[in-house]
Amino acid sequence: MDALSLAVSVAMDAVLVTLVLAMAALGLALIYGLIGVINLGHGAMLTIGAYVTWATTHAGIPFAAAVILAALAVALIGLAFEHFVVRHFYDQPFETLLITWGFFMITTEVIKIIFGTTMHPVTSPVTTPLDLGIAVLPAYRVLVAGISLTLIFLVAAVFYRTGLGVQIRAVIQNREVAGLMGVNIGRMYKLVFVVGCGLAGLAGGLLAPILSVGPYMGNIYLVRSFFVVIMGGVGQILGGTIVGSFLIGGSETIFALFSSQVFAQTIVFGLAIVVLRFRPHGILNRR
Amino acid sequence: MTGAGGQPRRASLVLLKRLAGSESGIAIPVFVFLAALPLFGSGYTVFILPQYMLYGVLALSLGLFWGFAGILSFGQSAFFALGAYTIGLSMKLGWGGGIVDSGYLGLILAVTFAAALAAVVGFFLFSVGIRDTYFVIITIELSIIAQQVAITQSQITGGGNGMFIDRMALNLGPIGSYSLEGDLAIYYFVLPFPVIIYFALRWLVGSKFGKVLIGIRENEDRLLSLGLNTSLYKTAAFALSGALAGLAGALYATHASFIAPSLGGVLFSTEVVVWVAIGGRTSLLGALLGGILVAWISTYLSAITPEYWQLVLGVLFVVVIVYFKGGVAGAVSRAIRARRALALNDG
Repeated sequence: MDALSLAVSVAMDAVLVTLVLAMAALGLALIYGLIGVINLGHGAMLTIGAYVTWATTHAGIPFAAAVILAALAVALIGLAFEHFVVRHFYDQPFETLLITWGFFMITTEVIKIIFGTTMHPVTSPVTTPLDLGIAVLPAYRVLVAGISLTLIFLVAAVFYRTGLGVQIRAVIQNREVAGLMGVNIGRMYKLVFVVGCGLAGLAGGLLAPILSVGPYMGNIYLVRSFFVVIMGGVGQILGGTIVGSFLIGGSETIFALFSSQVFAQTIVFGLAIVVLRFRPHGILNRR
Repeated sequence: MTGAGGQPRRASLVLLKRLAGSESGIAIPVFVFLAALPLFGSGYTVFILPQYMLYGVLALSLGLFWGFAGILSFGQSAFFALGAYTIGLSMKLGWGGGIVDSGYLGLILAVTFAAALAAVVGFFLFSVGIRDTYFVIITIELSIIAQQVAITQSQITGGGNGMFIDRMALNLGPIGSYSLEGDLAIYYFVLPFPVIIYFALRWLVGSKFGKVLIGIRENEDRLLSLGLNTSLYKTAAFALSGALAGLAGALYATHASFIAPSLGGVLFSTEVVVWVAIGGRTSLLGALLGGILVAWISTYLSAITPEYWQLVLGVLFVVVIVYFKGGVAGAVSRAIRARRALALNDG
């Protein structure tokens, strides 16, 4: 392989890793950025999405439908969780952090009881690699990257181009005044939380063919997603998620070229801490 | 109360009541019980209990930081594992070259390394006033990395196969060396650690340092405006917390004689958080007893019903967070205060 095609394939790989990671982080970015809940159950929600996808495809349901079912299932769980627990703690961020970690503990155990601890493979719906002449790309990752990009723009479009988006932005800017203007704040919070959970479920389903499905598969994405959000800047859903994903995922790919995966992860972790120290509000936030 | 004999009885009762009302009134009997336990406990209890006492020390390390400075750490297992692997390597490779006892050196280095790691991470982040919630996430990553390093650096750590460590000997210099191979010997070697650390921390939280920590928990901005460098206090508290976790890990390693990468992982850190939350995060005794008892019950019930017990523990954790912020210790002290108020009203 010559230098040019190596460079192209590394660059393409970095783009794909970035967008796949952005997909995983999007639900978290929404919930944290818009309603300020540190959802430590995000990783568990990815895991649930992956398990639903595995179980339904195993039962003969086509992959696309399985992923949508995964999103719906996790959204539903999120709805129940929000309604019965989380909504009573919106003004106590530290307590929601603990409670969502409890969500992780409980759901992980339930998954272990129902499905056991063995890893399950999910066969990818598209397997033929994409040959661009200069580099060969894994087709399924390209598909996920495309969905990821679409979803990010879709979320941004809802946020900046619809009446609903105006209401959500109003609630974020000034909760009391928005409430006085007739925005149903409780419903907005619920909506954001449930959509964020649904996106986590969707991401989990889409990640299932890339990773092996196991009870702790979401854990590593939980912390990565947080670094994405923190580095990109909390509340910067469009740009922040992509920039953050690139810094975390892309740099991990590049460092992994020269060293082991674990070492690369450690370096990126150090890098994230350094960035946090000098830009505590993220790369894109000036405040 | 009537009758002439009432007065002295009443005085001793008041003393007893005061003792029962304070934490020491529970702590001292507990420690006496632990000291006497080998007289009537089974061999297995004597073998296993030091492990839980060390879990208690680990819980104390978190109780100090979470309960008093109000900042949660999911990184305690990373310090615990760092301490455990440090003493393991020291004894295996004979650090100290025969001049310094490798067990002692291992203990000292375990504490030093863990404190240094915590101090570096803590200072780096606290000095820019990072949010407590971000700190929590970074400590989660800290334990993820600790476990992965322990797994992948297998030529040093033994990887997933773990590491076998001998029990250290109590080297008394010219007098000779006392073996801690026996379960009874190591029981009494370990016992003073939770006792001394508990009372030292009790003293510490009552000192100016402790008051500043509580101030940080309650209203950090006010302390800042009073001109206190809160980041230094937070760093010091985290370093101390890391040091205690490292010490607990090192003692655990030499007691258990075997360590594995899971000791550094997020799941173990979570267990520590659960012990402290259930025991009571604002009470050092609650944290200590939470570590000892919840871990003890956990192991016992995990043997009977592994999956469901973990599930119960998760539910219990959420229930404590939602309904009983102070954990068992908080509930007990509230009950005592309510009874006292009732007694005052009656009297």
